[in-house]
Parts: sequence; C-alpha cells; structure tokens
Amino acid sequence: MQPETAIRVERISKTYGDFRAVNDLSFEVYRGEIFAMLGPNGSGKTTTMRMILDILKPDTGRIEVLGGILTDATKDKIGYLPEERGLYRNVRVLEMMEYLGTLKGLSSNEAHKRSLALLEQLDLADHAKKKVSELSKGMQQKIQFAVTVLHDPELIIIDEPFSGLDPVNTLALKDLVMAFRAKGGTVVMSTHQMWQVEEMADRLLMIHKGEQQLYGPVEDIRKRYALHAIVVEGQGDWAALPGVERIETVENGRKGTLLYLESQTTTDDILAAIATTRNMSIERFELAVPSLNDIFIRVVEEHGQ
Amino acid sequence: MNKTWIVARREYLYNLKRPAFLFAVFGVPLFTFVMWVVIFAVTASNEESLDSFTQVGYVDSAGVLQNGVLPETAPDITPPELVAFESEESARAALDNQEIGVYFLIPADYISSGQVSTYSYSGIPRALRSYIQSLLLVNISRQTPGDIPLERIENPVNMSIHVADSGRDLTEANIPALILMPLVFAMIFMMASGVTSGFLMSGVVEEKTNRIMEILVTSVTPMQMLLGKVIGLGLLGLTQILVWGAAIVVLLNVGQTLPLLQGIAVPVDLMIVFVVYFILSYFLLSGLMAGIGAVVGSEQESRQWSSVISLLWVLPFFFITSFLSDPNGTLPIVLTLIPFTAPTTALLRLGFTTVPLWQIALSLAILLLTTIFTVWASARVFHWALLRYGKRVGIRELLRVIRKSPEAEISLAQSAQEGAR
Repeated sequence: MQPETAIRVERISKTYGDFRAVNDLSFEVYRGEIFAMLGPNGSGKTTTMRMILDILKPDTGRIEVLGGILTDATKDKIGYLPEERGLYRNVRVLEMMEYLGTLKGLSSNEAHKRSLALLEQLDLADHAKKKVSELSKGMQQKIQFAVTVLHDPELIIIDEPFSGLDPVNTLALKDLVMAFRAKGGTVVMSTHQMWQVEEMADRLLMIHKGEQQLYGPVEDIRKRYALHAIVVEGQGDWAALPGVERIETVENGRKGTLLYLESQTTTDDILAAIATTRNMSIERFELAVPSLNDIFIRVVEEHGQ
Repeated sequence: MNKTWIVARREYLYNLKRPAFLFAVFGVPLFTFVMWVVIFAVTASNEESLDSFTQVGYVDSAGVLQNGVLPETAPDITPPELVAFESEESARAALDNQEIGVYFLIPADYISSGQVSTYSYSGIPRALRSYIQSLLLVNISRQTPGDIPLERIENPVNMSIHVADSGRDLTEANIPALILMPLVFAMIFMMASGVTSGFLMSGVVEEKTNRIMEILVTSVTPMQMLLGKVIGLGLLGLTQILVWGAAIVVLLNVGQTLPLLQGIAVPVDLMIVFVVYFILSYFLLSGLMAGIGAVVGSEQESRQWSSVISLLWVLPFFFITSFLSDPNGTLPIVLTLIPFTAPTTALLRLGFTTVPLWQIALSLAILLLTTIFTVWASARVFHWALLRYGKRVGIRELLRVIRKSPEAEISLAQSAQEGAR
C-alpha cells in the first residue's frame, strides 16, 4: 500500500547569486514517519526546510505540503523549530507561549490551556511565570519544542533539534519527538548526529552541495552500502578459509573479525566452509553493515569535500 | 481572530506595561502637575501672608495719604490697619516693640522721585507691596486733574493686534493660547510618535536578533506582522495622547486662576488638523522605523537611526522665530509641504496665521502619498531583510529590493555584483 504523502518536493532549485544552494532536488515525506535530512554544513538542508515552509521561494520546482501548495491555513498545521533558536527573552514563558499559539490559530483560551498542559508535561509548570532568560539552556530548548507542538500540528520541521544539548536533555527531547510521532505526527528533522538517525528515523535524505546523494529507508541504505564482508566471532584461522581475501580486526564496539570476501564468494560459501573445517567454531556470524556515519563520510569523500 | 489583530493586541498590551512607556504617559503629566501645585502653593502662601501684617505703620512726609482713601481689595483679603507715625523714630520704636509688623516711609520728594522705603524684620510679601502700591495710586490719582479713571492710569495700554490675513485676532488674553497650544500639540505629537515608533523599531530588532522572526514568519505574513505592529503601537500612541489630553484639561481647570493660563481654550480646528496629521505622520514614521529596524543589525544602530529621523520632525522648532515674524514666508511654506516637517510646521503656523487651504490640502496629499509609499516599500524591505543577519545593506541594494519583488532580489543583488567583477 502506498503511504500517504505529507510533503512532495519536485525538482526544486535555489541559487544565491553564483552559489547553488539547492540543485534539482526531489523527495517525498510520508505521513506519520520520521524523515531525516543529513548533510554537511552548508549542504542546503536549512534552505530546503525554509522553502518547504515558504520562508524562501524556490527558483524552479514545486512543493506541496499537506496536500497542496502551502496556504495560511496549512501553515497553522505545521510546527517549526529553527536551527537558530528563537524565543522572546524578556517575556514570561506562559505569556510568550500563548502569543505564539494564538498566532498559529488557537483561541486565547485554548492557547492558555494547552500551554499549561504542555508545561506540566515537560515538568516546567513551576517556571510558567518566569522570564525565558531566567531558564537554563536545556529548559529553553524544551520550551522551544513546546512552542513547536503547541498548536497540535500535523507536521513538525525541526532543524538540528539536538545540537548543544547535554545527554539528559537529548534523551528528553528525543522522547518528545517519538511521542509526537506515536500520536500520528509527521517529523522532518535535520541532524549531524548519525546515531540519532539510526535510532529514530524511518527514511532519510542525504544531500551534499544541494544535490541528493542518498534517499530511502534507513535500513535499505545501510544494506546498500554493505561491504562484501562478514563479521565473525569465534575460534579458527579465518584467513585460511577459501574465498577470504583478507581479514581485519574490528577495533571499535563489539570485538570481532572482519572477513573481506573475494568477489565470487557468497556468504553461504563461507558459512559452509566454516562448518566443514575442523577446529573452527563460531559465536557470531553477520553481514558487515556500515554505520550511517561511515556511509556519510564515504559519500562526502567520494564527491570531494 | 485575524492575525493582524493578534499582533496588534500583543504589541499594545506588551508595550503598555513597559516602564519606559508608563513613565512617559504618567510621569510627564504628573511631574507637570506637581510643578503646578508647587507654583500654586508658593503664590498662595504669598497671598495669605498679608494676614501676618495686621498693623502697618507709615510716615507720610509728602502728605499724599492725608485724604485717607483706601484701595479696594479682593473680598477674601483682609486689608491691614494703617497706623500713622509722626517721625521715623517713633515708627521704628513701634516696630521694635512689635506693635506693628512693618512700616513705610513716604519722603517729602515722593511726587518727583516715587521713592518709598519699607522696614520690617521679616521681608515684605508681594501682596503687601501691591497693597501699598494701590494705596498710593488711589490717593495720588485724586490729585490729578480731570476724571481719568484709575484703571487707565494703572494700565494705559491694552494692545490688540490684528493680522490682516488671519481669522484670529490676537488680544492680550489669548496670545498665550495661540502660541502655547500649537507648541504643546507639536511636543505631544513628537513625544507620542517618537516613543511608540521607537518601540516598534526596537521590537523588530529584538525579534530579529533573537531569531524568533523565523517562527513568526511561518505563522503570519510579513505584511500582517508589519500592519499589526503599526496598528498596535499606533493605538498605544493614541492612549498616550488621551492621557495627556485629559491631564491638560485638568491642569487648565486647576490653573484658571493663574494669569498666564487665563483664557486658554483648545481651538477645535487645531484639534482636527492635529489628529489628521498625527495619524498620517505616525504611519509614515513607523513605516520608516520598521523598515530600518528590519535592516539594521543591532539595537544600538537602530537607536542612532531613530534619533536622526526624529530630528526631521523637530526641525521646524529651530525656525520658530522666523515663523512668528513671517508665518507665510517661503521657508514655512516649504516646510509645510515636506512630509517629514509638515505636521509640526502646519501646527505652528496654524496658531499664528491662517494657512491657505491649498497649502494644507497639498501638504496632506503629499504626506498621504509618502506614507502609503513608505509603508508599502517598508513591507517589501521588511520581508526581504527578516532573515538576513550580519550583512551590511547598501542603499542601492535597498532601492533594488523596493523596485523588484523581495524574492527575486536576493539573486539579483548577487548577479549585479558578478556583473561588476
């Protein structure tokens, strides 16, 4: 079954003078998924987000959000957490949230109730009457996220949500994002932190110099970049196995040995060989799937940083 | 609720609570009021202190008081009892014995010299001085030939000035009103629009530097935001004017007994012109301030700009003497037509003379067009500049933004630079 589309981006380009920020980019975001946008600094992630939000207009191409061209009514169904955080510093937390909520189409009454409920949920109810500038950075970040979801949007676009957060607050924010998705919300998120993508995202888009590099479900991409190699743990002379080109000890993470296979050799051949060889035993046998971080670095290197 | 109104409401309520605003609105009239009361109290205490001189001695060597005529006094003032002494020595002795509080000497050559000396231990209150003056006046006027009324001798000239082309006649009683009211209006106007448009600019700068602008522009359009701010702060300015207006009415009522303020009434035609000029020129000022606020990078820079712009409105005050001597001269007319100086100039001139209707109409028309253009251009610059940080903007670049659409501009400016290379 074809999933429902939340955002459809068709061949958009954006040029700032001679700098091509985004080049012929197309992708779709499905409803209810967490969609990650990856890319080095200056790769065009924020520009793309701003075009989706109609802050900037693409030079060419077409963007549909929540079923059509973005209108004022649709804007009220979107929450945006900008990379450079933005809050009124000298205004009381509750007052600010109410104002931003009414700007997103809530009535004053709804905005008041929902702000209080959210602050309660975030353990910030005691700080409702404080000024934003009196709060810690972690609290401010939580408030910023609360502002993003205050009007119960269908879609949130969050730009580097975890940057500058300590592990405790990172975890807290991650839970909030996952909870938003669990209620059926769609999330578009950009991040540098690969493990966040691996843990949270369903699909990803990797862009570099404004162009699409990788696009698809996270698992597919990891498999596509699978090495022709196997990770094993156990006893035996791995290098002597037929079809093994060379071996490497895995240093990072769980200990093991990485077996690079000759091109005609399949994993089944190796498994059979191990089974029939004396004095060999295996405790672990799996495909060597690179981390997204490895893929990220490989892609950037291949295209010349 | 329309989002423009949400922005307007928020700007109004938020800035209403600011200390700077509260001080401007209540502090200034309060300060004026306190001054008034102090002046009043000082004057009143002078009047009252006549009571402490119930017995006033005199030595009349010139014989001017021998008819014994007493001047008329206000009903609430008790005239002192006059005690005649034969010589200065006996008067002095009475003063030392505290039989009298004060005595005055009228020397033999008084008629030619006018010299009168008073002696007391505590100084002479103004009320007593004027009582002695009136006393001598009524008595010597009896000795002048003919029946010239006392009043004429006391006040020989009551000048009334007729300006040939003016609808207003300047009599001594209403000169202060005609000069004061335009001045007061012009000051109120400048302060009210200065304070609120300053708020507008600093608000925009704050939202930009705080980056909250990115959230705002995904909720409202730049035009909604600009209009909301201008309307909200405009209402704030009107609130300020209302409070001050009420304060002026109260002060005038309290101050009716002060000679300077007697006969001051608020001319209705001046009021109407004031309101029209205020509204138009407020929109012009705030449009400018919003545009500049969006372009400049810091609060500090915005303050410099706002003082430069306010200067344009104050400019006519520097020429006030030339306005008084020739309110229909070339300079006043030119300043009436320039939109920035028009409100203050027109108010000042309207006080002294009748400004030809065509000048007022032309001035308002130019002001209206300039205002519309400024707000429109400002909205374009506003939209374009909201998400630009840290880059200095040249005037040529701004002109291009105003001519072309804000979006096309970003690439245009860049390609123009390329062409130049």
